[in-house]
Amino acid sequence: MRYLRLYLHFLRFSFSRAMEFRLDFTFKIIMDCFFYLVNLSFYKILFMNTPTLAGWSEDQAFVFVSSYLFIDALHMTVFASNMWWLPFFVNRGDLDSYLTRPVSTLFFISLRDFAANSFVNLLIAIGIFSYALTNLQTPYTLGQLFFYLGLILNGWLLHYVLQMIFIIPVFWTQSSRGFNDFFFSMGMAIERPDLIYRGWLRYLLTMILPFSLIVSFPARVFFGPETPNLLTHLFVVTIVMWAIMLLLWKRGLRAYSSASS
Amino acid sequence: MIQVQNLHKTFKVSTKEPGLMGSIKGLVSRKYITKTALKNVSLEIKQGEMVGLIGANGAGKTTLVKVLAGIIHPTDGKVDVLGFNPWDRSDKLRSQMALIMGQKAQLWYDLPALDSYMLLKEIYQIPDVLYKQQIEFLADVLQIKDQLKVQVRKLSLGERMKVELMGALLHRPNVVYLDEPTIGLDLMAQKAVRQFLKDYQKEFKPIILLTSHYMEDIKELCPRVILIKSGELIYDGALQTIQTQFGERKKLVLTFEDKLTAPPQIPSELGTLEVQDNKLSLTTTRQKLNPAMDFLLKNFQPQDVTIQDPPIEEVIESFLRKGRS
Repeated sequence: MRYLRLYLHFLRFSFSRAMEFRLDFTFKIIMDCFFYLVNLSFYKILFMNTPTLAGWSEDQAFVFVSSYLFIDALHMTVFASNMWWLPFFVNRGDLDSYLTRPVSTLFFISLRDFAANSFVNLLIAIGIFSYALTNLQTPYTLGQLFFYLGLILNGWLLHYVLQMIFIIPVFWTQSSRGFNDFFFSMGMAIERPDLIYRGWLRYLLTMILPFSLIVSFPARVFFGPETPNLLTHLFVVTIVMWAIMLLLWKRGLRAYSSASS
Repeated sequence: MIQVQNLHKTFKVSTKEPGLMGSIKGLVSRKYITKTALKNVSLEIKQGEMVGLIGANGAGKTTLVKVLAGIIHPTDGKVDVLGFNPWDRSDKLRSQMALIMGQKAQLWYDLPALDSYMLLKEIYQIPDVLYKQQIEFLADVLQIKDQLKVQVRKLSLGERMKVELMGALLHRPNVVYLDEPTIGLDLMAQKAVRQFLKDYQKEFKPIILLTSHYMEDIKELCPRVILIKSGELIYDGALQTIQTQFGERKKLVLTFEDKLTAPPQIPSELGTLEVQDNKLSLTTTRQKLNPAMDFLLKNFQPQDVTIQDPPIEEVIESFLRKGRS
């Protein structure tokens, strides 16, 4: 409850601040709408040339891509700006004041800034996602839908964990730009169905750097047939990634040298 | 209470030869040097003490404060702050501690201080009654009632420091680390902050460890000082003692009944002479104080004689330059 109340404060602060910068507020919405358009068009063009993609029909692929847009908007709204700042906090010593507060430092630095200007885009993404679900030809029950939404939220958290794993090395390297660029390059795999990958690349994207587990696995579970293996794989890898991130974070804080005054 | 035993902290720092070639070499094989920030530091601070931490830039003051605050891990040694190991970062310790860094803002810049205080209330789980009391008390003593609803970025530097101080002390901490609290402030604001710290200390008796480059802060607030040089603790004791025991120079002032017309003849090896109206001042060293006094009293008949210590800033500067030996 205490953390929820803290988060409500963060929300209040972030909205108050966002309203101050109107132009930035509007520009961010336009930019994100453009990003959505590019992604949706890409799949539209693909399906003009093929009836299925990795076994998915156009309406299924639409659900898949809109799920990705939803996760991306959620990430941009909740985590992205906080994660962008983390390397600066580490290098400039701004982490000091967070470390002295009697509250989880990871919670504080991951959630303190709610991107209120991305919030409108989140609403748009939810709209696209809902539209895609209503157009889906495959029959599904309400229970399956909620289960899918749960898996999508798990994907969103996994996305956060993976990005953190790529940012935390900044405690040792001082610059995490290379790691961050690598994350974004690899992150393109989130936007593609996992079944298009084969061999070692597939192993990499589902086990080592499990970007394919963010949207692709939940979509496969949703469209069926549901396999217990797929779910076990999804949960085990997610838990392992969380554990790795927490361990790295702990080690990172131990290595933190703060900036000199 | 704070107890520190044999504290060591070393940093591994990479080096680079100048120029592009140096950068390329560094990419292939990087050389590191080990920098010692703290060497065998031991100290004890009792509840209610206000202690000044003094040292040149890079002496290790901030590193010591950061280790005590649990921000960085030491390489070796033991630290106990209010019964806790600070780098365990237990919430029980962190809720009793405050760190104020004069050069770093901790409040939300785009919001009024009162908004940030609401968040701090939640972070430190300050009961409503105590929160109201603290807001009233601190705003009153710091005289910033009117500024609490103004966005922090629109406040003057002095006002900003005051709201930062207020935010850091809302939860009534038992240990306060103050790093340069008056840096960049004008004389009036410096005075106000000092007076506030004095009042606060008197009222709530926390441990206050103060780092400042302004000797005025230390002189006014800290009966005890800790001097650090190259990571080593070279003095821990009363501020007054440094001045009386370690002041190299002494000033002998002789006051006469009448104005002195011509400068008297004094052997130059005894010191530097200065004459003003009916006063004769001889600046000499501690070793030459007795012969100088003998000479002056044998050759002149002053109305009054006083021995003055040099200014504390000067003593500390020479102390830090030479060390105790």
